[in-house]
Amino acid sequence: MMPLRRFRIHQPGTIAEAAEMLAHFGESGRLYAGGTELLLAMKHDVLRFEHLVDVKTVPGLAGIEANGGWLRIGGVATHRSIEISPVVRQRLPLFAEMEAKVANGRVRATGTLAGNLCFAEPHSDPATLLLALEARVRVEGRSGPRTLTIQELIPGAYQTSLASDEILTAVEIPLPKNGQRASYLKFQVHERPTLGLALVMETQDRGQAIATARVAVGCVCPFPRRSRQAESLLVGDRPQVERNLSQAAEVLADEADLIDDLEGGADYKRHLISVFLKRAFACAFPGR
Amino acid sequence: MSEKKREFYVVNHSVPRGDGVAKVTGQAKYASDVVLPGMAYAKLLRSPYAHARILSIKVGEAEAQPGVFAVLTGDRLEGLNPYYGHAVKDHPVLAMGKVRYVGEPVVAVVAVDERTAFQALDHITVQYEEMPAVLSVEQALAKGAPILHERTFAAGGFRGFEADVSAGRGTNICQEAHVTWGDADKAFAEAAAVVEGEYYYPMAYAYAMEPYVCVAEVNESGVTCYSSCQHPFIVRHDVAGVFNLPVSKVRLVVPFVGGGYGSKSYTKIEPLTAACAWKARRPVKLQLSVEEAVLTTRSDDALVRERTAVDAQGKLLARQATIYLNTGAYAENSPLVCEKAANRAAGPYRIPNARIDCYGVYTNTAPASSFRGFGSAQVTLAAESQIDEIAEKIGQDPLAFRLANVAERGEVFFPKSRPLDGDLKSDLKKVADLLGWDKPLPKGKGRAVGCTASDAGAYPVTSAAVRVHGDGSVSVLTGSTELGQGSHTIVAQIAAEEIGVPFEKVRVVGSDTAITPFDRSTGASRTTTLMGRAVLEACQDAVSQMRAMAADVLRCPVEEVTLMRGGVQRGADRLDWSQVLARYFGLPDGEVLGRAYLRKAGDLSQLPVFWELGCLGVQVSVDEETGRVHLEKLAVVGDVGLAINPALAEGQDLGAATMGMGIGLYEELIYDGEQLVNNSLLDYRVPRFSDLPEELHLALTENQDGVGPYGAKGGGEGSLNPISSALVNALYRATGVRLRRVPLLPERVWRALRDARHGRESCPAPTKQDAKSRREAG
Ligand SMILES: Cc1cc2nc3c(=O)[nH]c(=O)nc-3n(C[C@H](O)[C@H](O)[C@H](O)COP(=O)(O)OP(=O)(O)OC[C@H]3O[C@@H](n4cnc5c(N)ncnc54)[C@H](O)[C@@H]3O)c2cc1C
Repeated sequence: MMPLRRFRIHQPGTIAEAAEMLAHFGESGRLYAGGTELLLAMKHDVLRFEHLVDVKTVPGLAGIEANGGWLRIGGVATHRSIEISPVVRQRLPLFAEMEAKVANGRVRATGTLAGNLCFAEPHSDPATLLLALEARVRVEGRSGPRTLTIQELIPGAYQTSLASDEILTAVEIPLPKNGQRASYLKFQVHERPTLGLALVMETQDRGQAIATARVAVGCVCPFPRRSRQAESLLVGDRPQVERNLSQAAEVLADEADLIDDLEGGADYKRHLISVFLKRAFACAFPGR
Repeated sequence: MSEKKREFYVVNHSVPRGDGVAKVTGQAKYASDVVLPGMAYAKLLRSPYAHARILSIKVGEAEAQPGVFAVLTGDRLEGLNPYYGHAVKDHPVLAMGKVRYVGEPVVAVVAVDERTAFQALDHITVQYEEMPAVLSVEQALAKGAPILHERTFAAGGFRGFEADVSAGRGTNICQEAHVTWGDADKAFAEAAAVVEGEYYYPMAYAYAMEPYVCVAEVNESGVTCYSSCQHPFIVRHDVAGVFNLPVSKVRLVVPFVGGGYGSKSYTKIEPLTAACAWKARRPVKLQLSVEEAVLTTRSDDALVRERTAVDAQGKLLARQATIYLNTGAYAENSPLVCEKAANRAAGPYRIPNARIDCYGVYTNTAPASSFRGFGSAQVTLAAESQIDEIAEKIGQDPLAFRLANVAERGEVFFPKSRPLDGDLKSDLKKVADLLGWDKPLPKGKGRAVGCTASDAGAYPVTSAAVRVHGDGSVSVLTGSTELGQGSHTIVAQIAAEEIGVPFEKVRVVGSDTAITPFDRSTGASRTTTLMGRAVLEACQDAVSQMRAMAADVLRCPVEEVTLMRGGVQRGADRLDWSQVLARYFGLPDGEVLGRAYLRKAGDLSQLPVFWELGCLGVQVSVDEETGRVHLEKLAVVGDVGLAINPALAEGQDLGAATMGMGIGLYEELIYDGEQLVNNSLLDYRVPRFSDLPEELHLALTENQDGVGPYGAKGGGEGSLNPISSALVNALYRATGVRLRRVPLLPERVWRALRDARHGRESCPAPTKQDAKSRREAG
């Protein structure tokens, strides 16, 4: 950690103004929310910016609300505000529980969900769960608003498809219908998770059959992944699906582009996917 | 527990620590809080190479930056003696001619503020010519290996052992130590059973919350350093050497220190900071980041090959060990770590034959030095693992085997040393009771016990001064540093006990070499024992002077004046100390100065000063699917003679055990080639509160059998030493799989379990290549 190099903070009043500022500063500027990633990277001297555009001064971006079948989380909502939000706790408790285990209290108090997604650090809890929940993000730049899926937003490690003047203004998550069973599990040794695994299923017959399934894995790979083939193995009668779990895990691991790093070798991560898919499934059907 | 010799008023009570409120309210002052008028700030440019010749350094552009006062390089130190080191003078103030590890300081920039200094580093160009580097002990000892230090060295007077130093004799061996007794070869040939193995204990970072900080000022009165150091008097000696000054002209002031754990032992950045101040002609502050601190001092990692033999009766017959310590680029205190590792490798057992060979080896990696436990943790992984291994081999319970073989109280179990001054046998029984040793355990759980004895206390030279003031309050002048371990509280308790005043009336004046009397060091768990005793004797000196003063004012022979708590009595006359002083001096103030010097004499003539014991038990659960090992129960017994402050003593035991658990389960510094890859806290995993065991038992054994005050002995390292081996042994008992290296990271455990299931050798030869090959594969 080094002293921060000199930089200037700019405080736009609107999204349009923020976009103008970002466009004006180009490579030398960057959007700044909680700063928990950005300032750390700047203190380690791996990123250098002369201008930071503080998105927190734009009014109306911190809200959290449920509306028309969607949970909408504003572009500067912090992890902590999501974790304790009555709306989230009531309408999508799984998301609140995941948020409560992101990082540590200090990071959650200042770090934002949007900042997590837009930094595209491979060890993200929310990105993995949002992928399985089929969430979308609203972004806005000088050329107007767009809507992106999580896959579209995060095409690679530390990469997003945002233009340099675009701001993520909201994350929108479809609210669960009756019969949804979902779980998110992570395995962590170091400061960031080694593995995150999300499983979201629509069930019928009081949980006896699974109509649709979505499974996503993150942290073990450069960016969170789903596998349609694995998901097809997770549909059908529950006992049959249970028997398919190992195979589904293998398929998911095959498609995930597992990496060897200090968190572990690819073969270990493959094994963890299998362990945690089974655990996630068991979690989704508690009290059996 | 033997009966207490007397009733205590203040000691042996858990009085709240004297600095507690100041620390939790942020009032306590640390070296980084020191601001001197006109002070500038230094930042360092570090070497990107592990071993390279410095061809040229261009600093002109940096010097021209606005706000830059001075730029210092290794060849701009004319007038100073550029090398220091209390054991081996191998450490240049800044790299001279060549660099020896990635991260070695090469250039220092002094500027008006930290940012200006930091940004000026961009304007420096250093040309290097790379040289072949040695990154492991194997490479360093190979035939024809490049040599780190070509010069020869004289042994430093503060090295802490009698033998000569090995550094500078044409090899990369920094220090070697050999300990033998009996005839190990013969014993192994005749043994009933033998176990043999190779073990690896990783390099670790002590992670004091406060990284290294120094503020230095150089002027006509000499050099003054405010520093986060543990041993100000030895640092004073080194700084005096660099500046060619008498020690009276070098002043080391140590405010509160934010944790040391050995990492702040001896000289670190003080000579460099002082050199910066000298060059810039103004006070300079140099404070390192955590990442830089890791590059300043780490612990020695150790490869240990060990054999243990028993006879047909299940008695230990012999031990033999060869130990290789990776000492890094500079000796620092590693020669002593080498000596201590050799002394501690056989363990606290009755063993008739032993041969221990220990080598501390220079490599082109960050310098290693003292670390809580001092070589003991490194060698105990092997030693205590093998106690369980051999017990199993002959069908004995590991606890029963230990009880049958552990050294008895009063036994000389290590040649030419103080007899064992503690009761490990009863400590082991206590631990087993607390752990519920005989209770059945479900599958996937395991228990283990472990014990160690360390030759602690360092060299016993310590002095103290106690001033009793006219109002009966007391100042204690101590050269021991308050590192968070609570030493200022302990010495205040002793002074309050002896002078007979309330604890609140005692003020402790901490280390300032211009004011406080000499103390060799604050390390090796010696402060309670030695400084505590010096303070006690200084108090007794003051009391006896005041008794004579009382006789003077009462106009009677001294023999007629009897001591009572806080004063004296003669017949119906009772005088407290303030009355004695007021009548003696004829003023409402005045003072008595009591002093004491301890040296290696009398009951301190036999080393070690005391045996620091470690004795604990663990219970772990293992998630066999992920490989995660969880410490769910911990029992520690601190055999401390007498706990001056039981809460603080137990806190030290828990702290040391937790720190050791960190290395046992998670912590490991990893080199990928020349580069240390996880010196940031994002990647280096220290224990968290959530890692603490659900069930915790802390107990003390107080037999008043130490040479310290009231029979006290030191603590604070003991429970770190055996915990890694206990975790390994407990994992074995839970799963049947034995690992011979720590940390027991989930992936490593999972691999071992998987290999065991497939009938493969469960512990591949320790190698540091796995992380590297993983990265290369990725
Ligand atoms: C010690 C530590 C531990 C952590 N552990 C975990 C963990 O266990 N799990 C986990 O998932 N995460 C973890 N994190 C990551 C954490 O969630 C993020 O640091 C945080 O959410 C980032 O939010 P921020 O507001 O601070 O972003 P900033 O640091 O302000 O910004 C990060 C990046 O996002 C961009 N950005 C920010 N907001 C927007 C926006 N609205 N539109 C477009 N771009 C934007 C910025 O330009 C910047 O590039 C950890 C982080 C730390 C420091």
